[in-house]
Amino acid sequence: MPIFRSGEIKITILLSAVLIAALGPRIAGATLGEPEITVQSDVAQLRASIKNSDDRASYRVHEIQLPGGTLLREFVAPDGKVFAVAWNGPTKPNLRQALGKYFDAMVSAPKPKFADRRHLQIQQGDLVVQGSGHMRAFSGRAYLASAIPSGVNLGDLH
Amino acid sequence: MASCIGPVRAVLIAACCLAAVACGGGGGGGGGSGTPPPPPPPPPTNNVASVIVDEGPASQSVNTLFTSVTVCVPGSTTNCQTIDHIQVDTGSYGLRLLAPVLTVTLPVETLSSGNSLAQCTQFVDGFSWGPIALADVQIAGETAKSLPVQVIGDSRFATVPAACSGTGTAEDTVSSFGANGILGIGPFELDCGDCDTVTHGLYFACATATTCTDTTVPNAMQVPNPVTHFAADNNGSMIDLPAVAAGGAVTLSGSLIFGIDTQSNNQSGTQTVLTVDGNGELAMTFNGQTLANSFIDSGSNGIYFADSSIATCTTTGLTSFYCPGNTLTLGLSIQGQNGVMVNNLTFGVGNAQTMLNANPTFNVFPQLAGQLPAGNAGTFDYGLAFFYGKRVAVAVEGNMTSVGTGPYIAF
Repeated sequence: MPIFRSGEIKITILLSAVLIAALGPRIAGATLGEPEITVQSDVAQLRASIKNSDDRASYRVHEIQLPGGTLLREFVAPDGKVFAVAWNGPTKPNLRQALGKYFDAMVSAPKPKFADRRHLQIQQGDLVVQGSGHMRAFSGRAYLASAIPSGVNLGDLH
Repeated sequence: MASCIGPVRAVLIAACCLAAVACGGGGGGGGGSGTPPPPPPPPPTNNVASVIVDEGPASQSVNTLFTSVTVCVPGSTTNCQTIDHIQVDTGSYGLRLLAPVLTVTLPVETLSSGNSLAQCTQFVDGFSWGPIALADVQIAGETAKSLPVQVIGDSRFATVPAACSGTGTAEDTVSSFGANGILGIGPFELDCGDCDTVTHGLYFACATATTCTDTTVPNAMQVPNPVTHFAADNNGSMIDLPAVAAGGAVTLSGSLIFGIDTQSNNQSGTQTVLTVDGNGELAMTFNGQTLANSFIDSGSNGIYFADSSIATCTTTGLTSFYCPGNTLTLGLSIQGQNGVMVNNLTFGVGNAQTMLNANPTFNVFPQLAGQLPAGNAGTFDYGLAFFYGKRVAVAVEGNMTSVGTGPYIAF
């Protein structure tokens, strides 16, 4: 069941358009675990632009184009908070920006046995960070397990 | 002098250790007294480096391939060092050395602005920061003069810019890097496709050791696949490894052969060419699904794919590896960008925990497989195990061989 009714969607799109118009190229994404409105500060930090915003059945996705070509997607729950971020492209995004207060947990996580340079699998409390790829092509995601709205398929978070 | 790794054939050891001493190929022959014999014809360049899969310098590696590299201060034949346990990686580009094991001081590259050049090399699990330096590099008998290489963890540039440290976890020690360096010999020439015109947070101009900002870099100053800068045998390379028992082995030794169709020992013959795309990727079909972003990669230590029907291990630290009740034999097809299809390949998936428990001293596990995140369903990552029992050629972009034009992988 869609949690954003069509009327709300229209308003959201309208608001997004107004926001984008107002902020111009300085728009980017919000930060993991933070309200959607944190968009602006991240946007400026990442020198990015919103490519697309899409309302799905139980969450909203902002697709952000980073200057180097990498796509950063941010998933917003009905409570207005970012519950997941995912990336894909020639380089990784600034994860300190995208993960916010969860970045330190990622960095300090113990390295799993037999780690190689092509994979990342971290679970620290509520935080899950996963990645794969190789030089010139990286993909990954981070999410807060307890914040995933019901009905969301993990496979869709990419 | 660091020891030459790998037993293999005596001739290889001799060549390897000779390279360590002669460094850059200076030395002439010293004749004896009496009538000197006529000089022998110049031998072909020794294009074979020995490689080995072992536990690595940090005693933590599995399915990780290493070789030795000799680096000299440019122009010097004495200020040189041979470094063992350099990881051989077809999934990256360029030679990178860990500063803690370097005993020679390599000069840092300087941009036209006068600023020093440094790099934030991104790996999936972290980053490696350090300056780009120049070195005369020798591997087996192959030489590349004044080659840009990265020096990781260099105390001359100890301050990591926030834009770099923000990409993850630092890997700037032998322990955290798992190798003394890495030799990226993938199917492209440069480690970045367009860093001459676009900033990616990869290359940095340093006005001082602590003031480094994102910059574009002329291609000639970027870190290249060293093979492309060899004087000979520079169109690609081949990795030749023997087969290994399904349960694994302590070590596995083989050859890294430079050049394709350039000498009698690197002929393509009947190899099947699979052209790769601009990311070095090709398509693999697994479980009835075609995975467009797949790759064959000596730098991956397992066979990685998504299959929710296979149990993962429960042991802490191993939870991303598969632990099926019985060893599985699964099918795979690979399709190149050139439309060539290799069907009916099979690979084994063993129980990672059982395999490790049975042979804790093993470093070679052909049936070690792990999961990719469910959000990454478009990828099959066939790691070093793909190379076991094969001779796999990696042709660099734009180079023609007797069987095709790079970028391609052939076997």
